[in-house]
Formats: sequence, C-alpha cells, structure tokens
Amino acid sequence: MTMSRLGIQSTEVIDRATKLRFKWNGKRFSGFEGDTIASALAASGEHIFSRSMKYHRPRGILTADYWDPNLLVQVGDDPNVRAGHRLLESSMDVRSQNAWPSLHRDLKAANSLLGRFLTAGFYYKTFMRPQWLWPTYERVLATFAPGGKIDIDTPHRYHDKRYSHPDVVVAGAGPAGIEAALAASATGAQVLLVEHQHAVGGHLRFSSGDADQAALTQLQATLAASDVEVLTDSTVTGRYEDNWLGIVQRNHPIAVERLIKARAKVLVVAPGLIERPYVFEGNDRPGVITSGAARRLINLWGVKPGERAVVFSANADGDAAAADLDRAGVEIAEIVDARERRRISSTTGSSRAVDAVVVDAGLASNQRIDADLLVVAAGWTAPTSLLNMAGDRPVYDATAARFFPSDPPANVLATGGIVGDGSLDQLRSHGAATGRLAAARAAAVRHRLQAHTARALAVDGTEPAWAPDERSPLGRDAHPELYRSDTHGMVDYSEDVSSKDLVAASKEGYDSVELAKRFTTATMGPSQGKLETVNTVAAIAEARGETIAEVGTTVWRPPYAPLTLGALAGRVFEPVRVSSIHPWHEAKGVTTIQAGQWIRPDHYGDPAAEVRNVRENVGLIDVTPLGKLDLRGPDVSKLLNLLYVNKWSKLAVGKVRYGMMCAEDGVVLDDGVTGRLGEDHYMMSTTSSGAGGVWEWVENWLQTERPDWRVHVTPVTTAYASINIAGPKSRELVSRVTSGVDLDPDAFRYMEVRGATVAGVSGCFMWRIGFTGELSFELHVPAGHGLAVWEALMDAGSDLGVGPFGLEGQRIMRLEKGHFIVGQDTDGLTLAPSTGMGGLIKLDKDDFAGKPELVWAADRRLPQIVAIQPDNPNIVPDEACQIVRGDSNEILGRITSARFSPTLGRSICLGQVEPELATGGTKLTVLLTSGERISATVIDHHAHFDPAGERLRG
Amino acid sequence: MLLVPCPNCGPRNSADLRYGGESHARPDPATASPSEWRSYLYLRDNPAGWLRETWYCASGCRRWFALERNTATNEFRGPPLPGDKRGGAA
Amino acid sequence: MTGFARRIRRRPPKYSAAKLAWKGFRGQSWPRVWREVDLKRSYDAVVIGGGVHGLATAYYLARNHGIKNVAVLDKAYLGSGGSGRNTAIIRSNYLTPAGVKFYDRSVQLYSTLAVDLNINVMFSQRGHLTLAHSDSSLRTMHWRAEVNKLQGVNSSVIGPDEVKSEAPSLDTSDHPRYPILGALYHPPGGVVRHDAVVWGYARAADHMGVEMHQKTEVTDIICTGGEGPDGKGAGGRVTGVRTNRGDISTPVVVNCTAGWASLISSMAGVRLPITTHPLQAAVTEPVKMFLPTVVVSGSLHVYVSQTDRGELVFGAAVDPVANYSVRGSLEFTEGLAGHVLELMPGISRMRLLRQWSGLCDMTPDYSPVMGFTPVDGFLVDVGWGTYGFKAAPVSGEQMAEAVVTGRTPKLIEAFALSRFDNGELVGEKGAAAVGH
Repeated sequence: MTMSRLGIQSTEVIDRATKLRFKWNGKRFSGFEGDTIASALAASGEHIFSRSMKYHRPRGILTADYWDPNLLVQVGDDPNVRAGHRLLESSMDVRSQNAWPSLHRDLKAANSLLGRFLTAGFYYKTFMRPQWLWPTYERVLATFAPGGKIDIDTPHRYHDKRYSHPDVVVAGAGPAGIEAALAASATGAQVLLVEHQHAVGGHLRFSSGDADQAALTQLQATLAASDVEVLTDSTVTGRYEDNWLGIVQRNHPIAVERLIKARAKVLVVAPGLIERPYVFEGNDRPGVITSGAARRLINLWGVKPGERAVVFSANADGDAAAADLDRAGVEIAEIVDARERRRISSTTGSSRAVDAVVVDAGLASNQRIDADLLVVAAGWTAPTSLLNMAGDRPVYDATAARFFPSDPPANVLATGGIVGDGSLDQLRSHGAATGRLAAARAAAVRHRLQAHTARALAVDGTEPAWAPDERSPLGRDAHPELYRSDTHGMVDYSEDVSSKDLVAASKEGYDSVELAKRFTTATMGPSQGKLETVNTVAAIAEARGETIAEVGTTVWRPPYAPLTLGALAGRVFEPVRVSSIHPWHEAKGVTTIQAGQWIRPDHYGDPAAEVRNVRENVGLIDVTPLGKLDLRGPDVSKLLNLLYVNKWSKLAVGKVRYGMMCAEDGVVLDDGVTGRLGEDHYMMSTTSSGAGGVWEWVENWLQTERPDWRVHVTPVTTAYASINIAGPKSRELVSRVTSGVDLDPDAFRYMEVRGATVAGVSGCFMWRIGFTGELSFELHVPAGHGLAVWEALMDAGSDLGVGPFGLEGQRIMRLEKGHFIVGQDTDGLTLAPSTGMGGLIKLDKDDFAGKPELVWAADRRLPQIVAIQPDNPNIVPDEACQIVRGDSNEILGRITSARFSPTLGRSICLGQVEPELATGGTKLTVLLTSGERISATVIDHHAHFDPAGERLRG
Repeated sequence: MLLVPCPNCGPRNSADLRYGGESHARPDPATASPSEWRSYLYLRDNPAGWLRETWYCASGCRRWFALERNTATNEFRGPPLPGDKRGGAA
Repeated sequence: MTGFARRIRRRPPKYSAAKLAWKGFRGQSWPRVWREVDLKRSYDAVVIGGGVHGLATAYYLARNHGIKNVAVLDKAYLGSGGSGRNTAIIRSNYLTPAGVKFYDRSVQLYSTLAVDLNINVMFSQRGHLTLAHSDSSLRTMHWRAEVNKLQGVNSSVIGPDEVKSEAPSLDTSDHPRYPILGALYHPPGGVVRHDAVVWGYARAADHMGVEMHQKTEVTDIICTGGEGPDGKGAGGRVTGVRTNRGDISTPVVVNCTAGWASLISSMAGVRLPITTHPLQAAVTEPVKMFLPTVVVSGSLHVYVSQTDRGELVFGAAVDPVANYSVRGSLEFTEGLAGHVLELMPGISRMRLLRQWSGLCDMTPDYSPVMGFTPVDGFLVDVGWGTYGFKAAPVSGEQMAEAVVTGRTPKLIEAFALSRFDNGELVGEKGAAAVGH
C-alpha cells in the first residue's frame, strides 16, 4: 500500500499554501495546515503508525479519525495523542508508541509467533510457581504496558473552567444536530451546540456529492447567522444527575483545555454513527480501512489511500467510498457487495501490507484478488453513551443490524443517525422537530426552576408538563448483519483480542458480556468499545448460540471520550486563611504551620525562648482561628445547658466558663469557653478546627430539636482578630493600651469578660483566661484593626520584654499545664469521663447531648488521660509511642502529647492509659520508636507545672 | 451533580449543601434503654427507595430541612419541611 | 452439619505454563472455569453474594471443613459488585491491634493464594505509601506504625526525601498547598488482580463441589420462631431462602453482600448499622510504568496505583450522599484530578479513560460486621465499607469457621454486630480517614 497526496479536492480542508514542518520518530516531515498528524504522515507515504499491544504487530490507518485505535502517538510530553484527530502544528515532535526498539524493527513482534500460547487471560494460568519469581515476571510483563511516556517534569499548564446554564445542549453538529440547534434557537431558547470534530457538518464534510456540499454550505451559513453558540473540537464527555454535563473544549484560544460544566434543561444527543470494523482473518493488516477512512482521506485531506482496492460494501457509504476511490484514481479491483451475500474471507500479505484479498471462500464466486487496499463498509455502531448515562438501555434491532435507544428520560432527546435512517431531508426535518420539542421542554423546566426559587413555595415533586413527543420517527433501513466472516480476526485492535479469544473465553465459562470483557480485556482499551463493543457482543452471542439481543450490550461509562487530568482539575483553588495580623508575622520571619485551611505562626525561631519569655515577662500569640459564635436571645443558657456537659444557668453577666461538648454517643466533640456579655448576649468559643462543625451542630439542635427556643447564632470567627496576652507582666501591658475597663485584680477576675476600647479601637472584648497557665488576657478586636492593635501592644510593651510566641510555644505551655487538646489527646472513641474532667459532667440535668451514654459510662472501664513523666528527664518520646506491659507486646495505652519543658527542664507527656494505670505514681513502660523501652511515671495531676493554678489568678 | 430543592433557596447543587443522612427521631433520653438509644445512634433502615433524609443548606439559607429522595433513582418528592427531626447523630 | 459433593467429578486440569503450552500446541480449549448446574431444593448452607467474600466463605467451608453442599447465589454474575469495581489494594497497616492481626492474616493468605487456588492472582507487594500533609495526620501515621510494629507488621514513618525515592513522580517540595510532610511506608502492601481472586475462589470451590448460581436473586429469607412478622427477627431461626428460581431449604444463610447488606438482612428481620454510599473510581489510559508503589493521601482523598497494563487506577472517599445509584459524578473526577495533580503535577496530560462506582456499606466505626445475628442460622459478613477486598481470604476463613463451630472465632470477636448494642465500637474510628 502506498498513500500519496492527490491534486486539489473541492471538499478538502487543508491549506496547501501553508506548509508545516514536523518530526516523526526524529525524521523531518511536512504537511499542510488543516492536516491531522495522520493525514500528513499518510500523504508522505507512511503507513505504519504503531505496534499492537500484545503481539507488536504493525498497525496502519483503520478509521482515520479520533476513534482510530492504531493512531495513538506521543507528541512532545503528551502521550496517547489521537493522530487521526489532532491537527498538525509546526515543529511538532511526534513519536510512535509501543514499539521496541523502533517502529519498523520491533523485537517484541516475536510474540506473534507465540500467539497460540498467549491466548486471552494466559497470564492467569501461569507464573504461579515459584512464587518468589513472580515479581520478576511482573517486571517483564510491565514492559509490555502499552501507551506513551509521561515526563514527570511536565508543568500543569493553564486550564480553565466555565459554568453554563443553557436551555438546550446539542451534542453533535451533523445535519440533524445543526437543525435541532437552529430550531430550538429560533424559539428564543439559549442553545449550545457541541461538535467533537474540528468543524460542523458531520458526514456531509467528507461527502463529495453536490447536494451534500450545498446543504453543508447552507447549514454553516444559517448557523453562523444564528444565536446558537457553537463549540468545535469539543466533546460532551458525560451526562450526570439532572442533566449536569461535562463538556471539554480542546481548542480554547488561551487555556490548554477548558472544562464547561453545563446544567442543560434539555440535552439533545445527535452523535451520528460510528463505522464498525468487520472481523475476518487479516483484518488488522495495514491496508484494511473503513469506508469512512477512505472518504475522509480523499475528501478532507486529498490523500490517496492506495493503488488498487477491493471495496466490501453493505451500504450506501461503501458505494460512495468506491466512487470516491475511483475519482481519486485508485483502481477498483472488485466491489464485493454484502447485500448480495458476498463475503470477505481474509487478506494475505506480509505483516506490514495487504497484497491480496480472498473473497467468498468456499462459494462459487471464490477468488483471490490482488490489491493493496481493502475498504470495508460493514455497518454501524450507535454511540449511545450519553443516553446510557441518562439511564437508557439500548435495544438491538436485527433488521437494521444495530442498537437503538429505547426510553431515555423526558429531558434527553435523540436525533440523527442514532435513532434511524432516512434521506438528508428526513434527517434534517427530524432534527428540527427535535429542536422544537427540546425548546418546549426546556421552557417547562425553566418554569419549574423559577417557581421553586420563590420563597415559601413548596416543591410538589410532580414532573413538569412535558410537551408531548409528536415527531414523526425516522425509518430504519434494512442492513445485513455483518460481524464476523467465516474466519477469525481482530475484534479489539487496541487490546489485541481476536474473535477466537472471545470464543475460547466463552467456552471457558466467561460467557456473559461483562465476564468476557473482564477476562479478555476486549473493549477496555483507549477507544473504550466505540469500535469493538458490538463485535464483542456478536462473538459471544455466536459462541453461546444466542442472538445479539439476548446477550445484550455492556454499559457505556463516562467519559464519552478520554479527557486530560489537567482539564478536569482546572486551576487549583485551595483556600488559604490567614489572620489580619499575618503580615507582621511574615515580616518577623515566622515559621508557619498548616492548621486546616489556616496558616498560623508556629514559632519565630526559638520556641523554648518564647516560652521562657511568657513565663517571665509577657508574650503575644495570634489566636484568630479560634472559633467564635455570637449567641443572642432569651434561651441561650438553655442552649448551652443542652450542648455542654456542664451547667450554665447561673453564669452571671461578665463571667466566663469552660465547657466540654459531647456528641450523642458521649464522645468528646469540642471544648472552649463561653462568656456572658449581657443579659441575653453570649460569646461562645470553640476549637479552631471545630469552628465550622460546632456552628452546624448548634444550628441543627436549634432548628430540629428545639425550634421554639429563641436564640440567634452568628459566626464571628473571622470578624474578630484574637490576641492572647500572657505572662506575669500582661496586666501592665494591657493597662497601657486599654480604656474603659477596671483591670484591678479584684475588679476583673480570672474567668471574667469585659468590653473594652484597646489602642483606640472600640468594640473589643477581652476575657481573662488562657491556655498557658499564666496571667493572661484574651483580646478580641474587630478584625480590620487586628494588626494595628497587635503593633500597639508590641510598642507599648517593649520595655516589658514583650515578644510574640507561636503555636509551638503555646503547645509546650499547655502541656506543662496538662490541658488536653480535643482530637490530639482524645480520639474518635474518647468519652467525656476519660478526660479527667468527669467532675464537669452534670448528670442531674434533664437532658444534654450524649447524656444517656455518659450515665451508662459510669459502669464502664474507660481509658484515662493522665500526665506522664519519663523517669529519664532527657528522653522525649515521640507522640504516638505505645505504652506496653513490661517486656510484652500488650498495649496498655499511648503517649498522645510529648515535649521538653523549658520551664521544668524535663520531658513531659500526656497519654491515654488503661484505667488501672491512671493513679499517680504508677510506673509505665513506654516503647520508643527506636524499639527501646523506658520507664515513666504517672503524676498526680494533669498539670506538670503550677498545679494549684496560682499564676493565672494573679 | 444532584439538584436539591431547598425550601428557601430553590434548587441548588448538592455541593452547596451538607447531607445530614436518614431522618430519625431522638428517643427521650430520660427513659431510653441502652438498646433504644444505640439503635438511634447506629442502626439505619437504609432503604433502596424512598428515604426521608435531612439536608443543611450550608452555602445558602443555612436551614436544616428534610425531604424524601429515592436512593435508587435520586428523584425528590416533597414538600420539604424545615425543622424535621435531626439526621446524623454525631 | 454434614454433606459431601453428590457426585465424583473428574479432576479438572491444573493451570501451569506446561499445560498452557500443550493446550496451545494442540489447539485445545480449557474446560469451564465453574459448572453451570441446576439449582437444588436444599443445601447445607447458602451464601448470598457471589463476590469475593461469598466465594471465599464457600471455598473455606469446603476446603477447611468438608462442607461442600453449599450454594453461592448472585443476582448478576460472579464478581459483579464491589469485587469487580474496587481498586484491589492489599495492606495490613491498621490502627487497632484487632484490625492489624485480622488484616495481617489476610495478607498471609493472599501471599500464598496463587498456589493455593492454582491461578495467578498477581499479588504484587510493591509497597504502600500513606502520605501525611499535616501534623495531626503525621501523628496518626506514627500511631499506626507503632501498633503495626508491635504486631510484627512492617510499617514505618518516612520523611519526604524517602518518599521521593520510593515514588519519584510525587512532588515532595513545599510548593503544593498541602505539602507532603512524610508518609507511613508499608512494604508488604500492594495490589492484586481482583478478577483473578474472584475466579480463582469460584473455580477452586467448584472443584470441591460447591455450586455457583449466577442470575439467582434472593427475594426473601424464610424464618420461623422470631419475634417479628412471619417468624423473622430476634429469637427466630432460618429455614430457607426464596429466589427468582424457586425456594431452597437450608439451616444456614450467610449474607456476604455489599451494597445490599441492609436489604438482605431486613429479609431476616435484622437491622444493621449501615448506610450505603457509592465509592467512585477511575482509570486513565495506559502509559509506560513510572509509579512503582501504591500511593494514598487521606487528606487529599485520593489513592492511586499503576497497573501492569500501565493504567493509573484512582479512587477517592465515598460519596457524601447515601445512594444505591452507581452512575458516578463529574465532581468526583474533577476533585480527583485536582488532588492527583497536587501530588503529581507532571501527569496533567494523562487522560481519564473510564469512571465507575460501586456500593459501599459504611458502618459508624469503619469496621465490618461479622458473625452471628439475633436470628439463628443467619450470619453476616457485611459492612465492609471501602476495605472489603483486602479482607476477603481471612473473612472467608473465619466465617466458615463460625458456620461450622457455631462460635465466633477470636480473630473476628471485635467485629460482632452486638458491639453496637453494647456501645463498644472498634477503635478504627479513632483515626478515620480514607481507608485504603
């Protein structure tokens, strides 16, 4: 077979004035603007494009379009590019895939000789023994992995996303799809028309008939003048719930690709038909192509596909291909007409090219015809993927020899070849009728959506009044059922699965489509069954002695066509949260730590020094992420009583109380302090990580269990910047910048809250609490003033030795004080009594979240959180080290927090232990990550430092 | 992406809401036996069909509401009732 | 319980390279991998669900205990549910001693399964990395590693540089929004060819006389003496099952379904702590091998491995909304791709080929429900969430033992249904994340 460039064709899409140079396997080639990679190579005489997966057989053009399984190539760092679809660009570096060491001399082609042993699923039956050799076998097998190469340094280039809310999306811009889009648009509907190919027109594009070309020109012109938005080189990749569509646009002017997410009110499916290969011996030999391939090569790109052709035709497209070939100067050796029950039996030739075609083996017309090209028009596959995704199950029609949609939902319509046959006029008028119906139904959906947007309007759940389907259906032409000839051949080109493999699998018991597919991997390759599914089904049906209808088809899964991870990912939008004080931290060279979405100061160089400064002077920490809920109304104290394990009824205005919150299973959910700012006004604080969850939790209880309570909840976490001022000199510092508050120890005591003006900023409040165990004031400032107040505090305290401290310093100090952290020292099973704060739990309250479990927990042996000190003060166990029984491997608990305390000059820990080990003085064995076992002692209090709490009351 | 009919905001993408799970009544904590309480905590009907469930319109009106959805087909039927019994226990 | 295969069967040919060559040379075909036989009216035990758990249970009933008059019923085809839809990751680096012991036994059984079943299950112990992107997840990794080591399971926490050397395509720099801080490295972890395990158990069970019945849907479980309607519920016992192909009498029914566990159990009047959620997965087009290990990121909700065919297989967390629909969603693939490119920015040009989903029965403590129920003769092996495949061999072995001895084996005591009545949940809840 020799392909070459023809003279100018009236239908061609190439610009012969613009020559593009590119490389193919390192050699220089050229093509024209408008060429695909494959057409440019074919025009240059190349006819081997890839090697098959298993047997490494040479493969040439089969369909010359996106679905061609033999035309996957590497372009630069882009693997598995469809050379039948991707347009040629200047300087492209194109390489063949799956060949070793080269496309033309592939040593793995030796596998062909082993074909009879490498039957489908052969690998399941061997390499079991010796077991230790399997990893070696596996490495060898893996070298047969097909596909291109990825370069891990490829950047994630710019990709984009767009949301769209059209009335009607039409998938497929053939004549029926274009008419549907135009008709819908004419009613005023907003229409998006999506075409997989590079231009609209469908099969008219590569039809040389005058009437077809006139129709194409007219449709293009009407479309251009309409309000329809047209996307070419774009694919509707999936139809999901409620007509949520994924559309990938590959020809976006700026983005590499753009993913459009469209909520279509109605989807019109008009993909046309995909030409199906025919199964016979030698059907994968280069030189065997579909009729569509022949017509595309000649009419779109002016490529002559061979010198002497046999045409196997079962339909008008085959006949048209013969006419095109004849016009292109290809000698027609024979037209084998399937409608007259003639058959192709096999091709002969080398592995690289056809030299003859054997037809009608065993019949009177039996002959061997010399030819370098066999053009096959054996019938169609209906690409029902989008309809499948909408819940439709296609049904086989033996007369028309293809599957048809059966019963798609009312907001999904189909038109064009996928639903029937007819003249161009019939297809167009069916398309137009479909467009009008789609627009009418879209109006009903729009009405329903708008009605439901109105407040307080109940959703009645009834379907909208769908416009009735009064389209006159397209007919179905009779077509011979052509799947396999009297010989066996390739069914799945990308997976190297033959009809023989499928028959063998069926005999072996893998006789349903799904099992056979899994066992042989037929339809699992890059074309995902677009070419192979029906032949696979037919082979199984034949082996089982059943009809195709009885065997049924497989479920087509999204996406319709593969799409890149880059397109799906788009740009990375991961929110980053920082406090308004963050610029100050950065200016000081802070080391940060991730805390959920927050980026927080961990330390400013020396956490131990920060701790010492707090213990001796005064320090500031930015605790803005602390969750804050503003609660107002007469029933807030009832709410607090319901959500916390402790009591709130007697909390006076100006007072603050610590609370622990449990889920209904008694597991600790969150903790924090709540202050009463006014008669009906409280401020609840939560852990930083719990802020969002607690808010929902509060709303849930108020809205579902206690809807009669009058409480108004406002999340104010980021409305305030929060600063904790801790250390013996904190009162002095605060007094220098605060007005409107009596800071006298007797006037503003530990666990009290006051409104204040700080550094001239009014609307602040502060409470006297702290995680560090020092005298401290936690100041909450309207967020916009956070930085100014922080700087004012730093300025005012320079003579007091004020300095910042970060999370690490705070963690050390809280551990010195033995305060547990929810989620670190507790876990998903830690019940409230395990925390050592069982005294808080007030079981005499009528009700609170989790109360029954806490009542019953009294009888259970629960692990306990205890403070632990390693006997060797210099050993700091890693957090998560296990506490074990002596020299055994029995686990008795674990270290949950551990640090070296600069204040005490020794290592300190919190841990969870079995209850019998929880009393002070108990000796424990801690297994270090190094494997060493050390002894440690449980101490009497959670607090390693200042257990009486004298410092914080100062 | 499922469209969830919020009684206040109208149909919204499910990503805008928080799913609360099967709607079920909270037993009286004063009288519930351990078995009753734990079946409230853990046991679910989990039907393949119509299920009364709760949603929280987290990015919209911030109301919890309940409605019926067919877990096999994802159809909704209403009307949704704000303040239906709570969903997930924790 | 007694029972042996009713007829002596000719020993089917063993799989081997020599046999493969001989049959290839002679052009002979292989016999059916399992027989198609008529449904009998009575069995010693009926297993509902022809997935890997049901088949393993039947296999070990026959092999370990000689109970061969067993039917495995599946409403579709063998392996059509979770067994054929999961990403087949095998590991034992769990958090609790009970979990570690249990899954470690499974890894042991997997490591000899190819020889035991005489089929290449392609168990590839290529190593398993669970990435940590935060302080707290790093702490949980340490916790798991320490518990694992105490149970003799090879597991350790490694830093970003070692992560890079195990999987060079990972971005271990501080550029990502959530940089990789380290990983739990579990060298024995890996992947297995899921279909081969399903077919291997079916074939081996068939050889011993167990019957596999496809397209056989259970429509009811027949009980007597229970407190509920029709003799179902606590205090009753099982006498048979009703199917679309007729009634079967049997004293033992084992529910080995996933996705339908609640529905099947409700047929016996047993309520379960389960909600069913789809778990989605996806596969890319093949490229040459570049990812040598299994990579999991809990915080980014993604796990990925490369098959011997060169495809990347991805999974994520279960869908948040309870559902029996397996249609899949676009937002899953968007989120997945976004997270994967955070981990491996170099693969943005790889193309997603296919997405699918399976049903997962989620329990409140991320652990299964195994063993006896309040209905005598009705056993469950359900609630497998997203981690059922890796547990199939040990589950089958232990469930078979429970059926035969009438007692709960020690290895699965922690997973009893009664734990929910006692409020004694399994500690895997302690550090719930993506559980692959």
